[in-house]
Amino acid sequence: MKWSGFNNLEELGAGDHDDAGLDSLKKRVILAGMIILCFFALIITRFWFLQIYKGNEYRKRADSNRVRVSEVAAPRGNITDRKGRTLVTNRPSFNVVLVREDSYNVDALIKELAVAIDVDISTLWGKLREAEGKPRHIPIRLLEDIDWETLAYLENHNQKFPGIRIETIPARVYHYQDVAAHAIGYLGEISKKELAASDSRIYSGGDLIGKMGIEKLREIDLRGEKGSSSSEVNARGFEQQLLRKIEPLPGNDIQLTLDVEMQRVAETFMAAGDRAGAVVAMEVKTGRMLVLASNPVLPLSQFVGGISQKNWNALLENPKHPLINKVVQAMYPPGSTYKMITAMAGLAAGVITPETVLYCPGHYSFGNRRYHCWKGGGHGAVNLKRAISESCDVYFYQVGLRVGVDKLANMAGKFGFGVRSGIEMEHEKRGLIPTKEWKKKKYQKKWQEGETLSVAIGQGFNLVTPLQICQMTAIIANGGTRYKPQLIEKITGSDGKVLSQFEPVVAGDLAGEKIFLKFIQDGMEEVVQGRRGTASKIRINGIRIAGKTGTAQVVHLKQYRNLKEEEIPYKYRDHAWFTCYAPADDPEIAVTVLVEHGLHGGSGASPVARAILKVFFADRLKKTAAEEEQSKEE
Amino acid sequence: MLRVDRRYFHHFDWGLLLLLLLVSGMALMNLYSACYPPSLFGMSPYLKQCYLFLMGGMGMLFILCFDYKELHFWSYIFYALIIAFLLFVLVAGNSAGGAQRWINLGLFKLQPSELAKLMLVITLASYYSRRKEEDGYGIKEMSFPVALTVLPFLLILKQPDLGTALMLVIIFVSMTVFAKVSWQTYLFGGIAGSGLTVFAWFYLLRDYQKRRIETLLDPGKDPMGQGYQILQSKIAVGSGGVGGQGYMEGTQGHLHFLPERHTDFAFSVWGEEWGFTGSVVFLAAYFTMLLWGLYVAMTARDRFGVFLSFGVVMLIFWQAVINLLMILGLLPVVGIPLPMVSYGGSSLLTTLLALGILMNVRMRRFQKGQNLDMEKVKQ
Repeated sequence: MKWSGFNNLEELGAGDHDDAGLDSLKKRVILAGMIILCFFALIITRFWFLQIYKGNEYRKRADSNRVRVSEVAAPRGNITDRKGRTLVTNRPSFNVVLVREDSYNVDALIKELAVAIDVDISTLWGKLREAEGKPRHIPIRLLEDIDWETLAYLENHNQKFPGIRIETIPARVYHYQDVAAHAIGYLGEISKKELAASDSRIYSGGDLIGKMGIEKLREIDLRGEKGSSSSEVNARGFEQQLLRKIEPLPGNDIQLTLDVEMQRVAETFMAAGDRAGAVVAMEVKTGRMLVLASNPVLPLSQFVGGISQKNWNALLENPKHPLINKVVQAMYPPGSTYKMITAMAGLAAGVITPETVLYCPGHYSFGNRRYHCWKGGGHGAVNLKRAISESCDVYFYQVGLRVGVDKLANMAGKFGFGVRSGIEMEHEKRGLIPTKEWKKKKYQKKWQEGETLSVAIGQGFNLVTPLQICQMTAIIANGGTRYKPQLIEKITGSDGKVLSQFEPVVAGDLAGEKIFLKFIQDGMEEVVQGRRGTASKIRINGIRIAGKTGTAQVVHLKQYRNLKEEEIPYKYRDHAWFTCYAPADDPEIAVTVLVEHGLHGGSGASPVARAILKVFFADRLKKTAAEEEQSKEE
Repeated sequence: MLRVDRRYFHHFDWGLLLLLLLVSGMALMNLYSACYPPSLFGMSPYLKQCYLFLMGGMGMLFILCFDYKELHFWSYIFYALIIAFLLFVLVAGNSAGGAQRWINLGLFKLQPSELAKLMLVITLASYYSRRKEEDGYGIKEMSFPVALTVLPFLLILKQPDLGTALMLVIIFVSMTVFAKVSWQTYLFGGIAGSGLTVFAWFYLLRDYQKRRIETLLDPGKDPMGQGYQILQSKIAVGSGGVGGQGYMEGTQGHLHFLPERHTDFAFSVWGEEWGFTGSVVFLAAYFTMLLWGLYVAMTARDRFGVFLSFGVVMLIFWQAVINLLMILGLLPVVGIPLPMVSYGGSSLLTTLLALGILMNVRMRRFQKGQNLDMEKVKQ
């Protein structure tokens, strides 16, 4: 075989006489050498750029690659009642979180995970979508509060799910279920808005934050301080070794002034009759709140780990409005409970004395209208004591007329109406105490004297919260001092140090008008203890009680006037009030009950108050019973 | 043919051997760190690489026994053999990573595409050294070397192994430009080349290959995908700083952030652990070795020797440059190893054989007019 170019080869082989061609080749070799040197320079320059010019930056990135700092949630402070009974504490709960950065293929991982632990994949996608735009190393909470079985499975198969981790965080436990739900409140995941407004060193996405009640208002005390753990991780996210751990600082414990037993009695009593409304009790000489119940109660346990949309909608749509804290957030006409204000205003203005007798024929004619007394037949001649104890409307129509609406409002203000009490509950309502000026501003109309009649019996424009009625009762009971209602007894640090302690705060004083309270007290005692009192049924053997019933009309519709109470549609039925204090001779506690659409106070609301008083005075009642037993034996 | 001339011993290229030992020593040391802990890899790649160095060394010695001129004859046989291997791989090769590249030889898996690079160098050197064109090769004369290149190129592209296939083109272009071509050829080649590139982008490249190129342009776009490798490599190299993290102390490599840390990204480990100082020392040795190769070309006794040594230097040089620019984040991830540093039997053997040819050329620089040998070739 003969290959082309072999002749040349032989020529080449001769070598020497072809130096010219070889030389030009060798010149090009030098050129190639220069090119190689250029690349060498380029590469060295790049090494210089990365390693020296940007060296520190990459060093930091290598460290942040390798060191993962994760937050360790602080246990929230406990909440106890006045006797130290634990209402709210923590238990460990386990969440499934995903760190996208540690996962090579998030889509496949999610699919596998959904099948493995049998959850709806769309919820997982939903969580991922919410986290869109967050940095990839931030953990995304996929599932909250998983059960032990799932936890065990994931712990055993963690190699199968790179990027999936289990996060242990404290979750709230409610030892008394839903008791005092509105006062305590609940936790929820921090919202984007809250996050934007907060300090990034304190909160990060996914944190739980108080959303209502004390949990919200005392968030700063309860939350504690997060700890952190720095560990070295490999590229798949598995921890290699712990580098540093800073233990979290638990939150401060809060002791409430509430009495869980009384609170529970109030709530179960209300719930038993399927009643909506509020029950408030306070220590009359300090302002400590003993009961702050709003029915229907909030199902607190539904909020642990995030409330489902279905449950939330059910709460929203419930006609009895469980989301509203009726103690301070709902306003009602005060009805006859307001007659104490009218009486005080009359006494203070000097238009009546306790001995003044006014005649009640069952109605009162003013202008060209007839104003009825609740008792069609009339009370006949009544003095102040009888007027209160039998709640004679005609008597108070006349007192109201003599005093005038502005003086009524003035007196109401002294008892805390029309202003917020300042209790630690959100969205407290002021209520409404009408004056002539107010009407002019609001309706551009002159005040009609007839309207004063309605106001005088608590049935006009006036609106109050149950807490305000309780506060009024306490002021009457303690002889004229307005204490700010408070519900925190003590705040204790995790080290046991007391950080703050309850102290009564005086918000107002009746000054010279105190002397008239005696007559009001007498009237109120007669309500319960008197023979013809409107709440004589609630008497407790051994404790003298002073109180006042009230009925707040919801509508004045003629069509319902002749119906029996039970035949009126629920939402048009009157609200029932009962407010009282005890013992009558040396008062300690004031209790106010409002039952929405509960008809009239005597039967609708007073039994709840009675039950609470029985708990409050349980020890004394036992003693009295024992003494009686003894005296009988003797 | 096997007579041992004492001059061979005198003319043996001790300098190149020294550089080779220096570079391979550092490379093995680096591989030990990159493969740590060994349990993760079955038989340690480090150990395997040691064996392969010995095998390659013996291969070099074997090559030194023959005059490189014999390669004129053997080049076509090698060519046919390699093409057969490539075909065999396509039909029955071991597939890894979605590509069919290997023939399993027990100790290591032979990757014929690696040998194809060296084969192309030899074949082209043989062709160009035999033809002299004063004004450079015209388009017509180019058809044979183009055909020589395109055949293995297509076979390797089919595997698919874009990186190696492109290496063949780069070797071809380097050697052809070196051999001198006419301006018409440049023009035609330029037009055909860019036309083919556009065509390839739309019809030949697979999605993952396109993504690699796109990723290079914007690595932040997909930090967990292709960009992840480049980013982690840059972090590894950059965190080395001036003096490095210390041998066996690199966190990027040892905590597995660095992908392919014993193969394509092996030198990132070196950069991380030895820093700028170590990188400069290593690269200085490495590039001195390449320049030494050019010096061999300068002193070669004939055109074939010049082409052979030039081709061998280009073979190593371009792979090194592409690999280094890749780990430094200046080129897409194309899967080109750093010769002698990256773990891989076929690549190492090819490189050592190539260096053996270089030594062979150097050793025989004073022998002129080997007509005797030529007669044998003819028969």
